[in-house]
Amino acid sequence: MKLFKKYIPLTIVFLFGIVSLASYYVPNKLSEDYLEVMNAWENIVSAFGFFLGLISLFYAHYMKIKKKVDGWGYSLFVYIGFLLMVVPAIISKGTQLNPDASLTWLGWAFRYLYNPLSATMFSILAFYIISTAYRSFRIKSLQAFVLFAAAFVLILGRIPVGQMIWDSILGFTKVTAGEAIDWIIGVPSTAGKRGIMIGVAIGAVVTSLKIIFGIERQYMGKD
Amino acid sequence: MKNTLIFLTAFLTFSSYSSFAASQNKVKPAAISQIELKNFEALDFPYDKGESGLLVWEHTPELEGAQFSVLVSTVSDKEGWIEAVKFSAGENTADKINLPFWSFNKNKNKYAVALEFNNILSSQVKEELNYFAKVKIIKGKNISETKVLSSKIKGNWFRADRLNNLIVFLVVTLVFFIVVSHAKKKGLFIRRIAGLDAIDEAIGRATEMGKPIFYVPGIGVMSQISTIASTFVLGEVAKKVAQYDSYIKVPHYDPIVMTVSKEIVKQAYTEAERPDSYKEDINVFISHDQFSYAANVDGLISREKPAACFYIGYFMAESLLLAEVGASIGAIQIAGTDVDHQLPFFFTACDYTLIGEELYAAGAYLSKEPMLVSALKVQDFGKLVFMISVAVFSLLLIIGAKMEWKGLAGILTEILKVY
Repeated sequence: MKLFKKYIPLTIVFLFGIVSLASYYVPNKLSEDYLEVMNAWENIVSAFGFFLGLISLFYAHYMKIKKKVDGWGYSLFVYIGFLLMVVPAIISKGTQLNPDASLTWLGWAFRYLYNPLSATMFSILAFYIISTAYRSFRIKSLQAFVLFAAAFVLILGRIPVGQMIWDSILGFTKVTAGEAIDWIIGVPSTAGKRGIMIGVAIGAVVTSLKIIFGIERQYMGKD
Repeated sequence: MKNTLIFLTAFLTFSSYSSFAASQNKVKPAAISQIELKNFEALDFPYDKGESGLLVWEHTPELEGAQFSVLVSTVSDKEGWIEAVKFSAGENTADKINLPFWSFNKNKNKYAVALEFNNILSSQVKEELNYFAKVKIIKGKNISETKVLSSKIKGNWFRADRLNNLIVFLVVTLVFFIVVSHAKKKGLFIRRIAGLDAIDEAIGRATEMGKPIFYVPGIGVMSQISTIASTFVLGEVAKKVAQYDSYIKVPHYDPIVMTVSKEIVKQAYTEAERPDSYKEDINVFISHDQFSYAANVDGLISREKPAACFYIGYFMAESLLLAEVGASIGAIQIAGTDVDHQLPFFFTACDYTLIGEELYAAGAYLSKEPMLVSALKVQDFGKLVFMISVAVFSLLLIIGAKMEWKGLAGILTEILKVY
């Protein structure tokens, strides 16, 4: 049993991990073909995975409706939303435009149902940015003060009146608000970002090594 | 009738004169002479997958001020000529080829023309290809042509231009094995990560309040390292949840991540000796659309009011949409992502944030398994190497600028560049 649950999966992970790694250093057509095959397989597995996901989604909401849990009415919208997209997609044979460039049922559903809903969710972000900025600007520590100061300079420099305020208060420094902003973005901010990116890259390499060599195997359950 | 005859005679006279004049003015094509370029070679472009050729020759004083037209053919040495590139003397020298100094002779006195056949033929090169090439040299009114050379382009077996990358990788791998084998003998000290230490506190709080815990693995797919790291953390969080007999909910964006997470959570409950507490609806698939997913998770958080929310994995614009809703209901929030431009949102909206590589360290840190914990030391070693490199290279650049060592900056850049 251990052979199937442990050794065979670990061997597969090791072999495919090494070959995928080697393909980065081997420019030959063979390695390109290998990556194409892997991508195709990933898509096939994803398709089956999506089917499982759909079953899970429908089952979870069916149980909510059946048990009449709080907010079970929202679960009905899962089925309604699903039908509102799938039925037009079947009728329109998956195309969004008719030969005369008019919208098919699916195109109509995309343009007038899906896109506005999606855009609404995205636009909520603007309000959340304001509320989160308010929270950040409550100075409670030295770090919060530095964050506030940097953000204040950035905001000031991006508005015309900010330039006037900057000139009247800090004009004697001979540094313009634009230059100060460029320095903040170009030096401390970029340095911090690059530090994080280097750490991320090393972390990714080490995590990959742990998986390839079977040291980390939580993803397949333990022994 | 008389007028018509006069007009016809005049027309015929004018036409015959025009034809005669045209025949006299016709420019005879200039004679194309043969020229020998110094060290003229047609080659296969090195370290590529077999889509390009390379034409090289040396610069000589007589080529000053000349224009080059590179002609290629894949048919024969007589026909099917296509002009691949046209340039003036001094352009397209070998130092312009995007290969590092250790894999290509970047002699400025040498012309090197990369022949990208995908672009030249407007179709994908799929197999080994023979090509013919010649160079037409235009200098004032003189036009000369080289002899026709031929070569074969084919896929190479090693990218020597990525040698710098390979060396760093081999060093990291070597250190990895040394440190991991060392871990078997004795434990290693690992610095505290506040965000991970707070997990117990968050789960304990949720248990006391009798409220659920939300674990959001983000919108990554299973092939992304951040999602894999997130599933490691999920395993440890689920184990603690099972021990506390609390309730966890994991909404998913990707069905494959859901399938893997199901196994991990089930295993965690078994390890915590509470397999009976495991429920199939812990992991639920929501939607494979970013904002539909965010809307649904926001709705769940608003209705179920969890005491603790974990946002660990790959996040984009939905990071703030989720974290702000969690903050508004007063949940204790722990986030972790390797997407650097989403980190500020998590910093401001969450109580604790795992920055970049801390996310990869989280699973090992929580499991406390010596082998996994030791791997964290490799990450620290890697960072140390980079810090030393940055310091040394910066110092070298300053000294180079002071001593006017031309080309040093270029060499250092090529050493650090990813090809």
